[in-house]
Amino acid sequence: MPKIILEHITHHYGKKEVLRDISFSFEEGLTTCLIGPSGCGKTTILRLIAGLEKPSGGVVKINGTIVSENGVIRVLPHHRKIGFIFQDLALWPHFTVYDNIAFGLKEKRERNIKAKVFELLDLFEINDKAREYPHQLSGGQKQMVAIARSLVLQPEILLMDEPLANIDTHLKGNILRHLKNIQQQQGFTMLHVTHDHHEAMTTGDYMLIMNIGKIEVSGSKEEIENSSSQFVKSFLNT
Amino acid sequence: MDRKVSRNIAHIVPSLLLFVALALPFLLLILQWLTSSNKMTLFSFFNGPNLQLIGKSLLISIIAAMLSTFIGSICGFLLYKFKFPFSGFYKLMLLLPLLISPYIFAVAWKDGFFWLFGNAATVYSEAGVIMVHTFVFFPFAMLITGSALSQIHSGYEEAGLMIGSFRRMVISIIFPLIRPAITISFLLILIFSLSDFSVPAFFGVRTFTTEIFTQFSALYNFSLALGQSVLLLVICFLLLLAEARYLSDAPFFSVSVKGSISKKYDTGKRKILVHSILWALLIIVLLIPVFILIVQSLSGRAFFFSQALEFMFPAILQSIKLAFAGALLTTAVGLWTASEKERRGRKFPNFLLLLTFIVPSTVMGIALIRYYNLPALHFIYGTSLILLIAYLGKFGFITSRIIGNGIKQIPVSFEEAASVMGIPSNKIFLKISLPLMIPSLFTAFVLAFILCLGELGATMMVYPPGMELMPIKTFTISANAPEALTSSMTLVNLGVTVVLIMLFFIAGKWIFNKFQYA
Repeated sequence: MPKIILEHITHHYGKKEVLRDISFSFEEGLTTCLIGPSGCGKTTILRLIAGLEKPSGGVVKINGTIVSENGVIRVLPHHRKIGFIFQDLALWPHFTVYDNIAFGLKEKRERNIKAKVFELLDLFEINDKAREYPHQLSGGQKQMVAIARSLVLQPEILLMDEPLANIDTHLKGNILRHLKNIQQQQGFTMLHVTHDHHEAMTTGDYMLIMNIGKIEVSGSKEEIENSSSQFVKSFLNT
Repeated sequence: MDRKVSRNIAHIVPSLLLFVALALPFLLLILQWLTSSNKMTLFSFFNGPNLQLIGKSLLISIIAAMLSTFIGSICGFLLYKFKFPFSGFYKLMLLLPLLISPYIFAVAWKDGFFWLFGNAATVYSEAGVIMVHTFVFFPFAMLITGSALSQIHSGYEEAGLMIGSFRRMVISIIFPLIRPAITISFLLILIFSLSDFSVPAFFGVRTFTTEIFTQFSALYNFSLALGQSVLLLVICFLLLLAEARYLSDAPFFSVSVKGSISKKYDTGKRKILVHSILWALLIIVLLIPVFILIVQSLSGRAFFFSQALEFMFPAILQSIKLAFAGALLTTAVGLWTASEKERRGRKFPNFLLLLTFIVPSTVMGIALIRYYNLPALHFIYGTSLILLIAYLGKFGFITSRIIGNGIKQIPVSFEEAASVMGIPSNKIFLKISLPLMIPSLFTAFVLAFILCLGELGATMMVYPPGMELMPIKTFTISANAPEALTSSMTLVNLGVTVVLIMLFFIAGKWIFNKFQYA
């Protein structure tokens, strides 16, 4: 059963059309990579799924329930069981690493907050950074904190908006490996926006290549590699 | 749907309140003038004496604005584009004239001219007003251009330096990029100078603001004062329309994040020249007036100083209390209007504050008196509430812009990240946004406090009977008291202001260290 369904989604920023009649299903428990050039609408798709924006037209369904449709949000972001990793990571600068991760748990009055936070910190090998502030961390450590924060509420869907754009390949590989392990344990559905098609090929079960507000081609890695689309060929070769 | 309705109510009710309390008095003032049986039509206003007065007021303000903008821009360029020892000290010291009420400098320069030349006739003139306005308002231009210079990406300048000399790069790259800031500086200073009542009143120079005050308060010619107020309002609105686009998003007084993207240069061989320029300015705009006040107050006349302290003591306490309340109100309203504008795209409340910000103090005084002087509104008109409303009208826009610039620096994703987690919006505001806004809230509060403390024009017209405030006390006593007593009272006033600025500076250092996150 598809976890997320987009039906005839269109979206505008002012007069500019950024998404044009997008329909797509994201399968449960898999990683789908959204790739394409800048400004093609990848981030907008994530924001519509998260409920941070309303689609100008069309329907967004999660677990078969309509969550947004035609300019109306039916289910608020925090009821969608989503974790979102922002491009700028959005770590709250006045909170320590521990507080950044624990904030959501505290607000939901969960039990064993400390244990849950340290479980994630251990997993990402940054438990010694718990009392530090975001500006005291390296780029890679910040990314791990952002991922830990998005996972702590055990989301069913994880949306990643190019959070690994500015780190070296080795570190990126480590983080993605950690994430893959957690995904296998927890079974969440992951949507990963990236520019980097090599990264997409190594992490994605499924690919979605976009161009100027529409889906150019979608399919498994093999299907993408064998695609006859000129755009896809030139994009993958760049 | 319920959330949407409640959100709309939360916007509409305070907007309406702000409109009724602040903007309606001006609309009614215009309406009253238009429907008055004894009205003077706008056309009949364009007679010789009035045109001459308008022309003179505009000329004084334009010259003061040009000089201030020129001096301030040069200072801004030196202080924000070059690195040299004590630049922080110069920034702070050169900012002080802006934080000290203009009439204090008027008193000081009157004493100075008397001391230097044996009489103060030269300074009791249009040139005197221009001089004091220039020295008091140039820090505006320094701050605004400095802020614009700090935002120029170093890459632009380095790319320019690859193909031309430093001078060429300044002319072709830096100057065009800071031109909007220079325009804003000029316009703001023009409005401030045109609005100022205290300096021309002190020097006995007839300008439009002093004329309105005289007609209203001394000659009781309400219809003429009303007509003149409307005319001044029209001039200010025209200025506003001309530059509304720039002013509504003015980058001034932004509390910047640590670190700067802009490039700073070594002064090299010109270090002495730079220090000389800045010291000369510091001596002229700050040290000479303060020195003269001290000499005049203390030279063999300790009696006057102790008398001044005795006179001023109740006024000091009352002024501080009122400035505190005024700053609290303007900061709270500024926070709300800035949040509405920057986060919800609702510009109306901010626009209301912009409208009242450009209104000259005396016109504001008349509008508030005509509007609130009703038996049913005595709880406002007869109490310090009327002063708080005047302060909100005068300084609400400034606090709103400072806080708005602070909000702009907080990425929206910080709030979205919390929203996705299910944190309620009030908690997002209290736990995420508010702590990050503390430096800008503090700056807005301090500036509002200092401005409220020294406000004279509107305060003079609306202060309730029995209330003693520092600027009023000094200004009213200057007409009859010996000069040394006036100087002593001004010195006390200056001392209180400087001590408070220093206390805020110390508190600010702590707050900025604690709450500004790199």
